[in-house]
Amino acid sequence: MSIVVAYADTPPGHAAVAAALVESARESEPVVLVPAVRGAAVPDSDELARRWPAGGDRLTVERADLGDPADAVVQVAQRLDARLVVLGLRERTPVGKLVFGSTAQRILLEATCPVLAVKPGQA
Amino acid sequence: MTDAAFSALASLADPSLLLMLAVGVLAGLVIGLIPGLGGTGAVAILLPVTFGMDPEPALAMLIGALAVVHTSDTVAAVLLGAPGSASASVTMLDGYSMARQGQAKRALSLAFLSSMAGGLIGAVGLTLAIPLARPMVLSFGSPELFMLTILGVSLAAVLSRGNVVKGLTAGFLGLLLGLVGTSPTTAEERFSFGSLFLSDGVSLVAVALGIFGLAEIASRVGQRTITEQPVELTGGWGSGIREWLTHWTHVIRGALIGIWAGVLPGVGATAGTWLAYGQAVATAKDKRKFGKGDPRGIVGPESANNSVEAGDLIPTFLFGIPGGVPSAMLLGMLLTYGIQPGPAIVTEHLDLMYLIVWAFAIASVAGAFLCFLATGSLAKLTKVPFAVLGPGLLVIMLLGAFQEGGQIGDLWVMVLLGVVGFFLKATGMPRAPFLIGFVLAIPMERYYYLTANLYDGVSWMARPGVLVFAAVLVVPVLWSLVKRLRGTAGQADDGHRDEHEADDDHGLDDLEGSMAGTTWSAALAAIAALVFAGALWLSGSFSEEAALMPRLVAGGGLVLALVLSWQELRTRRGRPADAPAEPVADEPLGGGGTAVLTRPATVVDTKALTRQRDLVIAGRTFAAMATFLVLVMLGGYLAATLVFVPAFLLYAARARTRTAIVYTLVLGVVLLALPSLLPVDLPMGVLQ
Repeated sequence: MSIVVAYADTPPGHAAVAAALVESARESEPVVLVPAVRGAAVPDSDELARRWPAGGDRLTVERADLGDPADAVVQVAQRLDARLVVLGLRERTPVGKLVFGSTAQRILLEATCPVLAVKPGQA
Repeated sequence: MTDAAFSALASLADPSLLLMLAVGVLAGLVIGLIPGLGGTGAVAILLPVTFGMDPEPALAMLIGALAVVHTSDTVAAVLLGAPGSASASVTMLDGYSMARQGQAKRALSLAFLSSMAGGLIGAVGLTLAIPLARPMVLSFGSPELFMLTILGVSLAAVLSRGNVVKGLTAGFLGLLLGLVGTSPTTAEERFSFGSLFLSDGVSLVAVALGIFGLAEIASRVGQRTITEQPVELTGGWGSGIREWLTHWTHVIRGALIGIWAGVLPGVGATAGTWLAYGQAVATAKDKRKFGKGDPRGIVGPESANNSVEAGDLIPTFLFGIPGGVPSAMLLGMLLTYGIQPGPAIVTEHLDLMYLIVWAFAIASVAGAFLCFLATGSLAKLTKVPFAVLGPGLLVIMLLGAFQEGGQIGDLWVMVLLGVVGFFLKATGMPRAPFLIGFVLAIPMERYYYLTANLYDGVSWMARPGVLVFAAVLVVPVLWSLVKRLRGTAGQADDGHRDEHEADDDHGLDDLEGSMAGTTWSAALAAIAALVFAGALWLSGSFSEEAALMPRLVAGGGLVLALVLSWQELRTRRGRPADAPAEPVADEPLGGGGTAVLTRPATVVDTKALTRQRDLVIAGRTFAAMATFLVLVMLGGYLAATLVFVPAFLLYAARARTRTAIVYTLVLGVVLLALPSLLPVDLPMGVLQ
């Protein structure tokens, strides 16, 4: 089994990776990062190992065939038959969510496995 | 109303109409297979052929072609992984993967059936739109129609992909070009520089074929070979047909999305298809197979791209506002027949409207049927390199542009606009608003003149219809603002399902926008500013009434072009000369910096090199076109073709001698036979 992280290079995204590493430590499951920001650069394995020295060797990055970030995360999670999806949440107003939509909310609704949502500073 | 519908169907029993419909369907299928032409190319190539005909057979032929272009463009996308038109790139995602798994026939049967259903549903949508919109259309006066023309150009500019300022500048350039010629209000000549040829205005076919057709030829001649091995046509037709029946909801949803995308000006088939794909993905519970051969990724988009063309026709015929490029050309054709689209067409030419609906439906079915029969042999055509097709297409397109006015000057205008079109495409300026602006320039001026004469001052602005359209005008501006805000808020919460933004990743068209953010795009903005400034200065010499519209267009365009120039300068500042437009990598966080720093350098090199290569090839192609025109002026069209085509094939396309000889002979025979078969004239040379 593996754990999929909706990865963004932001404090919530980093918190999600940290939480996923903690979750995966017991059975040393692979942790797969799926880029959840359109067009953002993806870190390579060296950089991942440097940022998360503990368990960084279990981190891999995978891209989906779909362009939309939420769809991409759900697609990879389904394809890998993931045990868990981890995502980071940030502060959003109801109006902000109404206008811009929410990737986090869509992953929560559409994922076919359990989803762990974390906030920065709590992981 | 039903009477009109059935009498239109009865008129299609006329063998000559059916023949024209069949010719249109066949031509549409072949044009759909050639990469880069699509619906625009189909109408542009067939339009000149229709000039000597009555409106009914002409429309039957054009609609027949337009209805099936998106049926056959799937073949190349599925078998070669090289889409025949931009909208087929969506089908490529799942269709090509399915074909590589040995199920090409399954993918193609899903696509053909969905295309057929999309066309039929589109025709139904068009039929329903007539009675629904009729009372509304009939209540429109000149103020509403004036607002509609403004809405058409600005929506096309805002909804086209990319920068809004670029879209609006392109729209204003088109409007300005449309104003060349005699003023409809005072019969005064504008921007004609004393030339008799320009006093008629610029020919629509020359503009459309130049901006789209020739620019496409110049940008694709360089693609000599198809690198990947084509897949075999295997698998069963039957499995695809059975599977298609289980996905009927996706077919209907795709078609409805397509109609909606068609009604909006400037959205077009490509965006409509991506929207359909996005909704198929978003509503699917099981997403693991999307992109790896999921049938749902084929049926929705394929159904959408055919219904887009029907949707495009709704605003074109009912309001006189074209929804896309092919319908802008159809609109121009109707105007040359003296048929005024808009309220008048609903009352006076209702039978023509229903003829279009029937032609669309029949062509959709026939196109899918022919595709099933002929895919094996059609697929061979997609393997011909574009460099070999190029000269033949060039000869046909230039001959087409000659038919409208019978002047060699139109051909020069067309080549010149081809250069403009190439740079618009390369710098990422949308070309649809340009053509829509060109077509709407004169109606816009006429309706404004009527409005200003019929109403005191600005009282027309208080009419409810006008207020509604003004409100609609504001929405796209707000929408683009929201889009910009969303772009800067690049967080994980960006949840909009706008899949079509992702199509750059699939490497469909490497030229489109490749020069954005370079010296070239800055120069283009500066040239546009100069053109508008010159037009503003020239319009000072016109009489008050004739100068109003040119002044508005040139003034507005100047402001936009200056804003665009400022944007270009701002993006270039802080970047080394001709560096890539997009940021290459994130800031290095510490060690490993060397690895990150070497990457951008190689990216710059390959990008700059491809750009240079594209420019050299385009430059040579345009030079070849100009040489061809000189030959035409000297020795006439047939002689020029017999000299130019083999030379181009042997030296530019590196074709075999035998191919070049056979090709030239066939083309020569076609040119000789054309004037006796169709109302076509060949340009004469001075030596003839």
